[in-house]
Amino acid sequence: MSALMTLTVLAQAAAGEVGSGRIQGGWGYVWVSYGITWGAFALYSLSLWLRRPKNSPAGPKE
Amino acid sequence: MKRPAPIGLFRAAFVLLGKDLLIEWRTRARLNALVFFSLSTLLLFSFALGPDTKLLERNAGGYLWLAILFASTLSMGESFRIEYENACLDGLRLAPADARAIFLAKAMGNTLLLVALGGLLIPVMVALYGVKVVLGVGPLLATLALGCMALAAPGTVYAAIASNARARDVLLPLLLFPLIVPALLASAKAMMLVLQGDPMNQLNSWFGLLGGFNLIYWGLGFALFPRVIED
Amino acid sequence: MGKFLRMALPPIALGLLVTGHYIGLAVAPPDREMGDVQRIMYAHVPAVWIALMALTINFICSVVYLFKPSWKTDSLAEASAEVGLLFGTVGVLLGAIWGRPTWGVYWTWDPRLTTAAILLVSYMGYMALRRFVEDPEKRAVWSAVVGIIAAVDLPIIWYSVKWWRSLHQVQSSPKTVDPEMVLPLRISAFAFLAFMILFILHRYRIALHERQAEVALPDALPTDGPQANRTPGVV
Repeated sequence: MSALMTLTVLAQAAAGEVGSGRIQGGWGYVWVSYGITWGAFALYSLSLWLRRPKNSPAGPKE
Repeated sequence: MKRPAPIGLFRAAFVLLGKDLLIEWRTRARLNALVFFSLSTLLLFSFALGPDTKLLERNAGGYLWLAILFASTLSMGESFRIEYENACLDGLRLAPADARAIFLAKAMGNTLLLVALGGLLIPVMVALYGVKVVLGVGPLLATLALGCMALAAPGTVYAAIASNARARDVLLPLLLFPLIVPALLASAKAMMLVLQGDPMNQLNSWFGLLGGFNLIYWGLGFALFPRVIED
Repeated sequence: MGKFLRMALPPIALGLLVTGHYIGLAVAPPDREMGDVQRIMYAHVPAVWIALMALTINFICSVVYLFKPSWKTDSLAEASAEVGLLFGTVGVLLGAIWGRPTWGVYWTWDPRLTTAAILLVSYMGYMALRRFVEDPEKRAVWSAVVGIIAAVDLPIIWYSVKWWRSLHQVQSSPKTVDPEMVLPLRISAFAFLAFMILFILHRYRIALHERQAEVALPDALPTDGPQANRTPGVV
Protein backbone atom coordinates (compact mmCIF):
# COMPACT_ATOMS: atom_id res chain seq x y z
CA MET A 1 0.00 0.00 0.00
CA SER A 2 2.71 2.40 0.98
CA ALA A 3 4.55 1.53 -2.20
CA LEU A 4 1.50 2.56 -4.16
CA MET A 5 1.37 5.85 -2.23
CA THR A 6 5.00 6.51 -2.98
CA LEU A 7 4.43 5.82 -6.63
CA THR A 8 1.46 8.20 -6.71
CA VAL A 9 3.47 10.93 -5.06
CA LEU A 10 6.32 10.35 -7.46
CA ALA A 11 3.98 10.45 -10.42
CA GLN A 12 2.47 13.71 -9.22
CA ALA A 13 5.91 15.18 -8.70
CA ALA A 14 6.87 14.15 -12.21
CA ALA A 15 3.66 15.62 -13.57
CA GLY A 16 4.41 18.87 -11.78
CA GLU A 17 7.85 18.93 -13.30
CA VAL A 18 6.39 18.44 -16.74
CA GLY A 19 3.72 21.02 -16.10
CA SER A 20 6.09 23.85 -15.32
CA GLY A 21 7.03 24.42 -18.94
CA ARG A 22 9.19 21.58 -20.09
CA ILE A 23 10.15 23.45 -23.22
CA GLN A 24 11.64 26.81 -22.42
CA GLY A 25 11.83 29.54 -24.97
CA GLY A 26 11.64 28.21 -28.48
CA TRP A 27 10.52 31.57 -29.87
CA GLY A 28 12.93 31.04 -32.72
CA TYR A 29 10.83 28.17 -33.98
CA VAL A 30 7.69 30.25 -33.62
CA TRP A 31 9.06 33.18 -35.57
CA VAL A 32 10.39 30.94 -38.32
CA SER A 33 6.98 29.31 -38.60
CA TYR A 34 5.07 32.55 -38.80
CA GLY A 35 7.67 33.93 -41.16
CA ILE A 36 7.12 30.99 -43.49
CA THR A 37 3.36 31.44 -43.33
CA TRP A 38 3.35 35.17 -43.98
CA GLY A 39 6.10 34.86 -46.54
CA ALA A 40 4.21 32.16 -48.41
CA PHE A 41 1.06 34.27 -48.49
CA ALA A 42 2.95 37.33 -49.65
CA LEU A 43 4.88 35.47 -52.32
CA TYR A 44 1.78 33.72 -53.60
CA SER A 45 -0.10 37.02 -53.77
CA LEU A 46 2.82 38.45 -55.70
CA SER A 47 2.83 35.53 -58.11
CA LEU A 48 -0.92 35.90 -58.65
CA TRP A 49 -0.36 39.57 -59.36
CA LEU A 50 2.39 38.81 -61.84
CA ARG A 51 0.25 36.19 -63.60
CA ARG A 52 -2.86 38.41 -63.73
CA PRO A 53 -4.74 38.29 -67.02
CA LYS A 54 -3.24 40.90 -69.28
CA ASN A 55 -4.49 42.64 -72.44
CA SER A 56 -7.79 40.82 -72.41
CA PRO A 57 -9.53 41.59 -75.70
CA ALA A 58 -12.89 42.58 -74.22
CA GLY A 59 -11.78 44.13 -70.97
CA PRO A 60 -12.54 42.52 -67.63
CA LYS A 61 -14.80 39.54 -68.00
CA GLU A 62 -17.24 39.98 -65.15
CA MET B 1 -14.50 -10.71 -86.47
CA LYS B 2 -17.29 -12.99 -87.59
CA ARG B 3 -20.25 -10.76 -86.96
CA PRO B 4 -20.49 -7.00 -86.74
CA ALA B 5 -22.58 -6.95 -83.57
CA PRO B 6 -20.75 -5.65 -80.50
CA ILE B 7 -19.11 -8.51 -78.70
CA GLY B 8 -19.33 -8.95 -74.99
CA LEU B 9 -17.11 -7.07 -72.60
CA PHE B 10 -15.15 -10.01 -71.33
CA ARG B 11 -14.76 -11.64 -74.71
CA ALA B 12 -13.45 -8.38 -76.11
CA ALA B 13 -11.10 -8.06 -73.18
CA PHE B 14 -9.74 -11.54 -73.70
CA VAL B 15 -9.33 -11.02 -77.44
CA LEU B 16 -7.35 -7.84 -76.72
CA LEU B 17 -5.34 -9.57 -74.04
CA GLY B 18 -4.51 -12.33 -76.49
CA LYS B 19 -3.37 -9.74 -79.00
CA ASP B 20 -1.12 -8.02 -76.46
CA LEU B 21 0.35 -11.28 -75.26
CA LEU B 22 0.99 -12.34 -78.84
CA ILE B 23 2.83 -9.09 -79.57
CA GLU B 24 4.81 -9.56 -76.40
CA TRP B 25 5.56 -13.18 -77.20
CA ARG B 26 6.73 -12.46 -80.73
CA THR B 27 9.39 -10.02 -79.62
CA ARG B 28 9.83 -10.82 -75.95
CA ALA B 29 11.68 -7.53 -75.90
CA ARG B 30 9.79 -6.03 -73.03
CA LEU B 31 10.05 -8.97 -70.66
CA ASN B 32 13.74 -9.43 -71.43
CA ALA B 33 14.52 -5.81 -70.76
CA LEU B 34 12.45 -5.84 -67.59
CA VAL B 35 14.12 -8.95 -66.24
CA PHE B 36 17.59 -7.52 -66.68
CA PHE B 37 16.55 -4.16 -65.36
CA SER B 38 15.09 -5.59 -62.17
CA LEU B 39 17.89 -8.09 -61.70
CA SER B 40 20.38 -5.29 -61.73
CA THR B 41 18.16 -3.37 -59.32
CA LEU B 42 18.27 -6.29 -56.90
CA LEU B 43 22.04 -6.45 -57.25
CA LEU B 44 22.37 -2.72 -56.75
CA PHE B 45 20.49 -2.87 -53.47
CA SER B 46 23.10 -5.19 -52.09
CA PHE B 47 25.91 -2.97 -53.34
CA ALA B 48 24.30 0.15 -51.96
CA LEU B 49 23.81 -1.42 -48.53
CA GLY B 50 27.05 -3.28 -48.23
CA PRO B 51 27.55 -6.98 -47.67
CA ASP B 52 25.48 -7.13 -44.50
CA THR B 53 23.67 -10.40 -45.13
CA LYS B 54 21.43 -10.06 -42.09
CA LEU B 55 20.15 -6.71 -43.29
CA LEU B 56 19.58 -7.96 -46.81
CA GLU B 57 17.77 -11.01 -45.55
CA ARG B 58 15.51 -9.01 -43.31
CA ASN B 59 14.54 -6.49 -45.99
CA ALA B 60 14.43 -8.85 -48.96
CA GLY B 61 10.66 -8.51 -49.41
CA GLY B 62 10.88 -4.74 -49.61
CA TYR B 63 13.69 -4.81 -52.15
CA LEU B 64 11.81 -7.29 -54.31
CA TRP B 65 8.78 -5.00 -54.41
CA LEU B 66 10.87 -1.95 -55.15
CA ALA B 67 12.48 -3.77 -58.05
CA ILE B 68 9.06 -4.79 -59.37
CA LEU B 69 7.73 -1.27 -58.89
CA PHE B 70 10.58 0.34 -60.82
CA ALA B 71 10.21 -2.20 -63.57
CA SER B 72 6.45 -1.67 -63.65
CA THR B 73 6.75 2.01 -64.53
CA LEU B 74 8.84 1.04 -67.54
CA SER B 75 6.60 -1.80 -68.57
CA MET B 76 3.28 0.01 -68.25
CA GLY B 77 4.50 3.04 -70.13
CA GLU B 78 5.56 0.69 -72.90
CA SER B 79 2.18 -1.06 -72.99
CA PHE B 80 0.55 2.13 -74.25
CA ARG B 81 3.44 3.39 -76.32
CA ILE B 82 2.96 0.50 -78.71
CA GLU B 83 -0.66 1.53 -79.13
CA TYR B 84 0.13 5.15 -79.88
CA GLU B 85 2.95 4.37 -82.23
CA ASN B 86 0.89 3.54 -85.30
CA ALA B 87 -2.34 5.05 -84.03
CA CYS B 88 -3.40 1.57 -82.99
CA LEU B 89 -5.44 3.03 -80.17
CA ASP B 90 -7.65 4.81 -82.68
CA GLY B 91 -8.24 1.46 -84.32
CA LEU B 92 -9.18 -0.09 -80.99
CA ARG B 93 -11.56 2.76 -80.27
CA LEU B 94 -13.26 2.32 -83.61
CA ALA B 95 -13.76 -1.39 -83.05
CA PRO B 96 -17.29 -2.33 -81.98
CA ALA B 97 -16.21 -3.15 -78.46
CA ASP B 98 -16.56 -1.55 -75.08
CA ALA B 99 -13.72 0.84 -74.25
CA ARG B 100 -13.65 -0.64 -70.79
CA ALA B 101 -12.51 -3.90 -72.36
CA ILE B 102 -9.30 -2.11 -73.29
CA PHE B 103 -8.73 -1.29 -69.65
CA LEU B 104 -9.37 -4.86 -68.55
CA ALA B 105 -7.10 -6.25 -71.24
CA LYS B 106 -4.27 -3.82 -70.57
CA ALA B 107 -4.50 -4.16 -66.81
CA MET B 108 -4.60 -7.94 -67.01
CA GLY B 109 -1.70 -7.94 -69.45
CA ASN B 110 0.35 -5.71 -67.16
CA THR B 111 -0.52 -7.89 -64.19
CA LEU B 112 0.54 -11.03 -66.01
CA LEU B 113 3.80 -9.47 -67.09
CA LEU B 114 4.58 -8.31 -63.57
CA VAL B 115 3.67 -11.69 -62.10
CA ALA B 116 5.94 -13.39 -64.64
CA LEU B 117 8.69 -10.95 -63.73
CA GLY B 118 8.14 -11.58 -60.04
CA GLY B 119 8.17 -15.31 -60.61
CA LEU B 120 11.59 -14.99 -62.21
CA LEU B 121 12.89 -12.61 -59.57
CA ILE B 122 11.86 -14.56 -56.49
CA PRO B 123 14.27 -17.47 -56.99
CA VAL B 124 17.04 -14.98 -57.68
CA MET B 125 16.15 -13.07 -54.55
CA VAL B 126 16.10 -16.25 -52.51
CA ALA B 127 19.58 -17.07 -53.77
CA LEU B 128 21.04 -13.56 -53.62
CA TYR B 129 19.80 -12.55 -50.21
CA GLY B 130 19.78 -16.00 -48.67
CA VAL B 131 16.17 -15.97 -47.51
CA LYS B 132 13.88 -18.85 -46.65
CA VAL B 133 10.26 -18.95 -47.69
CA VAL B 134 8.80 -19.86 -44.33
CA LEU B 135 5.11 -19.85 -45.18
CA GLY B 136 5.45 -21.80 -48.40
CA VAL B 137 4.65 -21.18 -52.03
CA GLY B 138 0.89 -20.62 -51.77
CA PRO B 139 0.95 -17.39 -49.73
CA LEU B 140 3.98 -16.28 -51.72
CA LEU B 141 2.13 -16.51 -55.00
CA ALA B 142 -0.97 -14.93 -53.48
CA THR B 143 1.11 -11.95 -52.32
CA LEU B 144 2.74 -11.66 -55.70
CA ALA B 145 -0.56 -11.79 -57.59
CA LEU B 146 -2.39 -9.36 -55.32
CA GLY B 147 0.52 -6.92 -55.27
CA CYS B 148 0.97 -6.98 -59.03
CA MET B 149 -2.75 -6.44 -59.55
CA ALA B 150 -2.62 -3.49 -57.18
CA LEU B 151 0.23 -1.93 -59.15
CA ALA B 152 -1.30 -2.67 -62.53
CA ALA B 153 -4.79 -1.20 -62.13
CA PRO B 154 -3.91 2.41 -61.30
CA GLY B 155 -0.73 2.07 -63.34
CA THR B 156 -2.71 1.25 -66.47
CA VAL B 157 -4.90 4.32 -66.11
CA TYR B 158 -1.94 6.58 -65.46
CA ALA B 159 0.13 5.02 -68.22
CA ALA B 160 -2.66 5.74 -70.69
CA ILE B 161 -2.59 9.35 -69.58
CA ALA B 162 1.16 9.79 -69.32
CA SER B 163 2.06 8.08 -72.58
CA ASN B 164 0.22 10.78 -74.48
CA ALA B 165 1.62 13.72 -72.56
CA ARG B 166 4.87 15.59 -72.77
CA ALA B 167 7.66 14.26 -70.54
CA ARG B 168 5.87 10.95 -70.20
CA ASP B 169 8.84 9.19 -68.65
CA VAL B 170 8.82 11.60 -65.76
CA LEU B 171 5.09 11.91 -65.44
CA LEU B 172 4.19 8.26 -64.88
CA PRO B 173 6.35 7.72 -61.79
CA LEU B 174 5.42 11.16 -60.52
CA LEU B 175 1.74 10.27 -60.62
CA LEU B 176 2.02 6.61 -59.73
CA PHE B 177 4.49 6.49 -56.85
CA PRO B 178 2.49 8.47 -54.31
CA LEU B 179 -0.67 6.65 -55.32
CA ILE B 180 0.53 3.12 -54.78
CA VAL B 181 2.09 3.76 -51.37
CA PRO B 182 -0.58 1.68 -49.59
CA ALA B 183 -0.18 -1.17 -52.07
CA LEU B 184 3.61 -1.13 -51.83
CA LEU B 185 3.46 -0.98 -48.06
CA ALA B 186 1.01 -3.85 -47.80
CA SER B 187 2.70 -6.11 -50.34
CA ALA B 188 6.18 -5.52 -48.95
CA LYS B 189 4.92 -6.21 -45.46
CA ALA B 190 3.05 -9.32 -46.59
CA MET B 191 6.12 -10.54 -48.47
CA MET B 192 8.29 -10.14 -45.41
CA LEU B 193 5.78 -12.11 -43.35
CA VAL B 194 5.74 -14.82 -45.99
CA LEU B 195 9.53 -15.00 -45.96
CA GLN B 196 10.06 -14.77 -42.23
CA GLY B 197 7.00 -16.40 -40.76
CA ASP B 198 3.87 -14.89 -39.34
CA PRO B 199 3.71 -15.58 -35.60
CA MET B 200 1.13 -12.89 -34.90
CA ASN B 201 -1.17 -13.75 -37.76
CA GLN B 202 -0.95 -10.36 -39.46
CA LEU B 203 -0.81 -11.65 -42.99
CA ASN B 204 -4.56 -11.68 -43.47
CA SER B 205 -4.99 -8.02 -42.58
CA TRP B 206 -2.40 -7.05 -45.19
CA PHE B 207 -4.14 -9.27 -47.72
CA GLY B 208 -7.34 -7.49 -46.76
CA LEU B 209 -5.76 -4.12 -47.43
CA LEU B 210 -4.42 -5.30 -50.78
CA GLY B 211 -7.80 -6.77 -51.65
CA GLY B 212 -9.58 -3.54 -50.82
CA PHE B 213 -7.07 -1.49 -52.78
CA ASN B 214 -7.51 -3.78 -55.75
CA LEU B 215 -11.27 -3.60 -55.54
CA ILE B 216 -11.28 0.19 -55.41
CA TYR B 217 -8.77 0.78 -58.18
CA TRP B 218 -9.94 -1.91 -60.57
CA GLY B 219 -13.42 -0.44 -60.11
CA LEU B 220 -12.26 3.16 -60.56
CA GLY B 221 -10.12 2.28 -63.54
CA PHE B 222 -12.95 0.34 -65.11
CA ALA B 223 -15.31 3.27 -64.68
CA LEU B 224 -12.95 6.11 -65.61
CA PHE B 225 -10.84 4.58 -68.34
CA PRO B 226 -13.26 5.24 -71.23
CA ARG B 227 -13.02 8.94 -70.41
CA VAL B 228 -9.23 8.78 -70.45
CA ILE B 229 -8.92 7.47 -73.97
CA GLU B 230 -11.90 9.21 -75.54
CA ASP B 231 -11.07 11.64 -78.27
CA MET C 1 -20.56 39.96 -56.32
CA GLY C 2 -17.15 39.05 -57.64
CA LYS C 3 -16.10 42.67 -57.60
CA PHE C 4 -17.33 43.14 -54.05
CA LEU C 5 -15.46 40.06 -52.93
CA ARG C 6 -12.28 41.20 -54.61
CA MET C 7 -12.46 44.64 -53.03
CA ALA C 8 -13.66 43.68 -49.56
CA LEU C 9 -11.92 40.40 -49.03
CA PRO C 10 -8.26 41.50 -48.87
CA PRO C 11 -8.77 43.89 -45.93
CA ILE C 12 -11.02 41.37 -44.18
CA ALA C 13 -8.49 38.58 -44.62
CA LEU C 14 -5.59 40.72 -43.54
CA GLY C 15 -7.47 42.09 -40.55
CA LEU C 16 -8.48 38.63 -39.39
CA LEU C 17 -4.95 37.34 -39.86
CA VAL C 18 -3.39 40.17 -37.87
CA THR C 19 -5.98 39.83 -35.08
CA GLY C 20 -5.78 36.05 -34.90
CA HIS C 21 -2.03 35.87 -34.95
CA TYR C 22 -1.67 38.81 -32.55
CA ILE C 23 -3.90 37.11 -29.99
CA GLY C 24 -2.14 33.84 -30.63
CA LEU C 25 1.35 35.25 -30.25
CA ALA C 26 0.87 37.84 -27.54
CA VAL C 27 -2.35 37.28 -25.59
CA ALA C 28 -3.02 33.54 -25.43
CA PRO C 29 -1.24 31.70 -22.60
CA PRO C 30 1.68 29.40 -23.40
CA ASP C 31 0.96 25.71 -23.35
CA ARG C 32 1.48 23.81 -20.12
CA GLU C 33 3.84 21.31 -21.67
CA MET C 34 5.03 22.80 -24.89
CA GLY C 35 5.49 26.37 -23.71
CA ASP C 36 5.60 29.10 -26.31
CA VAL C 37 6.41 26.68 -29.08
CA GLN C 38 2.77 25.67 -29.01
CA ARG C 39 1.91 29.04 -30.59
CA ILE C 40 2.84 27.52 -33.93
CA MET C 41 -0.56 25.85 -33.71
CA TYR C 42 -2.37 29.05 -34.72
CA ALA C 43 -0.71 28.93 -38.11
CA HIS C 44 -0.19 25.19 -38.55
CA VAL C 45 -3.65 23.84 -37.78
CA PRO C 46 -5.64 26.33 -39.89
CA ALA C 47 -3.22 25.80 -42.78
CA VAL C 48 -3.89 22.08 -42.76
CA TRP C 49 -7.65 22.54 -42.41
CA ILE C 50 -7.78 24.97 -45.28
CA ALA C 51 -5.56 22.78 -47.44
CA LEU C 52 -7.97 19.90 -46.95
CA MET C 53 -10.88 22.17 -47.76
CA ALA C 54 -9.27 23.38 -50.98
CA LEU C 55 -8.47 19.83 -52.05
CA THR C 56 -12.04 18.82 -51.30
CA ILE C 57 -13.15 21.57 -53.67
CA ASN C 58 -10.75 20.10 -56.20
CA PHE C 59 -12.28 16.65 -55.79
CA ILE C 60 -15.81 17.99 -56.19
CA CYS C 61 -14.80 19.92 -59.31
CA SER C 62 -13.15 16.82 -60.75
CA VAL C 63 -16.29 14.74 -60.30
CA VAL C 64 -18.54 17.49 -61.62
CA TYR C 65 -16.32 18.00 -64.64
CA LEU C 66 -16.61 14.39 -65.74
CA PHE C 67 -20.39 14.60 -65.66
CA LYS C 68 -20.76 18.10 -67.02
CA PRO C 69 -17.68 19.48 -68.77
CA SER C 70 -17.17 23.19 -68.43
CA TRP C 71 -14.11 25.41 -68.52
CA LYS C 72 -15.24 27.06 -65.32
CA THR C 73 -15.17 23.79 -63.39
CA ASP C 74 -11.81 22.94 -64.86
CA SER C 75 -10.38 26.33 -63.95
CA LEU C 76 -11.74 26.07 -60.43
CA ALA C 77 -10.17 22.62 -60.11
CA GLU C 78 -6.80 24.01 -61.19
CA ALA C 79 -7.08 26.97 -58.84
CA SER C 80 -8.13 24.91 -55.82
CA ALA C 81 -5.38 22.35 -56.36
CA GLU C 82 -2.69 25.00 -56.49
CA VAL C 83 -4.00 26.87 -53.46
CA GLY C 84 -4.45 23.61 -51.57
CA LEU C 85 -0.87 22.74 -52.38
CA LEU C 86 0.27 26.12 -51.03
CA PHE C 87 -1.57 25.73 -47.73
CA GLY C 88 -0.58 22.09 -47.47
CA THR C 89 3.09 22.91 -47.95
CA VAL C 90 2.91 25.59 -45.27
CA GLY C 91 1.13 23.15 -42.95
CA VAL C 92 3.65 20.36 -43.42
CA LEU C 93 6.65 22.69 -43.05
CA LEU C 94 5.23 24.15 -39.87
CA GLY C 95 4.48 20.71 -38.56
CA ALA C 96 8.07 19.68 -39.11
CA ILE C 97 9.36 22.81 -37.38
CA TRP C 98 6.99 22.24 -34.50
CA GLY C 99 8.15 18.65 -34.25
CA ARG C 100 11.77 19.64 -33.69
CA PRO C 101 11.39 21.11 -30.17
CA THR C 102 8.53 18.86 -29.07
CA TRP C 103 9.53 15.46 -30.42
CA GLY C 104 13.21 16.19 -30.89
CA VAL C 105 13.08 15.40 -34.61
CA TYR C 106 11.77 17.18 -37.66
CA TRP C 107 10.10 14.11 -38.99
CA THR C 108 8.45 11.01 -37.63
CA TRP C 109 6.62 8.42 -39.63
CA ASP C 110 3.35 8.97 -37.93
CA PRO C 111 0.24 8.50 -40.06
CA ARG C 112 -0.66 12.15 -40.13
CA LEU C 113 2.71 13.39 -41.32
CA THR C 114 3.19 10.59 -43.78
CA THR C 115 -0.24 11.02 -45.29
CA ALA C 116 0.31 14.77 -45.55
CA ALA C 117 3.63 14.28 -47.30
CA ILE C 118 2.16 11.81 -49.78
CA LEU C 119 -0.74 14.18 -50.33
CA LEU C 120 1.66 16.96 -51.28
CA VAL C 121 3.54 14.73 -53.71
CA SER C 122 0.27 13.53 -55.25
CA TYR C 123 -0.93 17.02 -55.98
CA MET C 124 2.46 18.09 -57.25
CA GLY C 125 2.04 15.29 -59.76
CA TYR C 126 -1.42 16.63 -60.53
CA MET C 127 -0.05 20.10 -61.21
CA ALA C 128 2.78 18.64 -63.31
CA LEU C 129 0.22 16.77 -65.38
CA ARG C 130 -1.65 19.99 -66.01
CA ARG C 131 1.56 21.58 -67.15
CA PHE C 132 2.60 18.72 -69.42
CA VAL C 133 -0.60 18.38 -71.46
CA GLU C 134 -1.23 21.06 -74.04
CA ASP C 135 -4.61 20.05 -75.39
CA PRO C 136 -7.02 21.85 -73.04
CA GLU C 137 -9.83 19.30 -73.32
CA LYS C 138 -7.60 16.31 -72.71
CA ARG C 139 -5.90 18.14 -69.88
CA ALA C 140 -9.25 18.83 -68.25
CA VAL C 141 -10.50 15.24 -68.51
CA TRP C 142 -7.22 13.67 -67.47
CA SER C 143 -6.66 15.94 -64.54
CA ALA C 144 -10.23 15.29 -63.39
CA VAL C 145 -9.51 11.56 -63.49
CA VAL C 146 -6.24 12.02 -61.63
CA GLY C 147 -7.91 14.33 -59.11
CA ILE C 148 -10.51 11.68 -58.31
CA ILE C 149 -8.00 8.86 -58.08
CA ALA C 150 -5.66 10.87 -55.86
CA ALA C 151 -8.44 11.95 -53.52
CA VAL C 152 -9.76 8.42 -53.15
CA ASP C 153 -6.26 7.30 -52.23
CA LEU C 154 -5.93 9.55 -49.19
CA PRO C 155 -8.06 7.57 -46.73
CA ILE C 156 -6.39 4.35 -47.88
CA ILE C 157 -2.95 5.82 -47.27
CA TRP C 158 -4.09 7.02 -43.88
CA TYR C 159 -5.26 3.60 -42.74
CA SER C 160 -2.39 1.69 -44.27
CA VAL C 161 0.21 3.89 -42.60
CA LYS C 162 -1.69 3.61 -39.36
CA TRP C 163 -1.57 -0.18 -39.52
CA TRP C 164 2.02 -0.13 -40.61
CA ARG C 165 3.01 2.06 -37.68
CA SER C 166 0.88 0.29 -35.13
CA LEU C 167 3.13 -2.71 -35.45
CA HIS C 168 6.00 -0.63 -34.11
CA GLN C 169 4.60 1.90 -31.70
CA VAL C 170 1.45 3.69 -30.85
CA GLN C 171 1.47 7.41 -31.45
CA SER C 172 -0.31 9.01 -28.55
CA SER C 173 -0.49 12.74 -28.20
CA PRO C 174 -4.03 13.70 -27.28
CA LYS C 175 -3.99 17.48 -27.38
CA THR C 176 -6.70 19.05 -25.33
CA VAL C 177 -7.14 22.57 -26.49
CA ASP C 178 -7.56 25.20 -23.79
CA PRO C 179 -10.58 27.48 -24.21
CA GLU C 180 -8.26 30.47 -24.27
CA MET C 181 -6.53 28.96 -27.27
CA VAL C 182 -9.77 28.37 -29.14
CA LEU C 183 -10.38 32.02 -29.90
CA PRO C 184 -7.12 32.79 -31.73
CA LEU C 185 -7.34 29.41 -33.44
CA ARG C 186 -10.81 30.19 -34.68
CA ILE C 187 -9.95 33.69 -35.85
CA SER C 188 -6.85 32.41 -37.64
CA ALA C 189 -8.90 29.69 -39.30
CA PHE C 190 -11.33 32.26 -40.66
CA ALA C 191 -8.42 34.43 -41.78
CA PHE C 192 -6.93 31.50 -43.68
CA LEU C 193 -10.35 30.73 -45.12
CA ALA C 194 -10.61 34.29 -46.39
CA PHE C 195 -7.16 34.03 -47.91
CA MET C 196 -8.10 30.74 -49.54
CA ILE C 197 -11.21 32.25 -51.13
CA LEU C 198 -9.20 35.25 -52.27
CA PHE C 199 -6.39 33.18 -53.74
CA ILE C 200 -8.73 30.72 -55.43
CA LEU C 201 -10.78 33.56 -56.87
CA HIS C 202 -7.77 35.22 -58.45
CA ARG C 203 -6.18 31.98 -59.55
CA TYR C 204 -9.52 30.95 -61.05
CA ARG C 205 -9.66 34.12 -63.11
CA ILE C 206 -6.15 33.50 -64.40
CA ALA C 207 -6.97 29.90 -65.28
CA LEU C 208 -10.23 30.79 -66.96
CA HIS C 209 -8.50 33.48 -68.97
CA GLU C 210 -5.85 31.01 -70.10
CA ARG C 211 -8.54 28.48 -71.07
CA GLN C 212 -10.40 31.05 -73.13
CA ALA C 213 -7.23 32.09 -74.88
CA GLU C 214 -6.39 28.46 -75.63
CA VAL C 215 -9.84 27.65 -76.93
CA ALA C 216 -10.09 30.83 -78.96
CA LEU C 217 -7.20 29.87 -81.19
CA PRO C 218 -7.22 26.10 -81.41
CA ASP C 219 -5.08 25.71 -84.51
CA ALA C 220 -3.16 28.93 -84.43
CA LEU C 221 -0.43 27.49 -82.24
CA PRO C 222 1.77 25.81 -84.84
CA THR C 223 3.63 22.80 -83.49
CA ASP C 224 3.17 23.29 -79.79
CA GLY C 225 -0.39 22.13 -80.10
CA PRO C 226 -1.77 18.68 -79.47
CA GLN C 227 -0.05 17.37 -82.59
CA ALA C 228 3.30 17.56 -80.90
CA ASN C 229 2.16 15.02 -78.34
CA ARG C 230 1.83 12.32 -80.89
CA THR C 231 4.76 10.20 -81.79
CA PRO C 232 6.35 10.99 -85.13
CA GLY C 233 4.79 7.98 -86.81
CA VAL C 234 1.36 9.56 -86.68
CA VAL C 235 0.44 11.95 -89.41
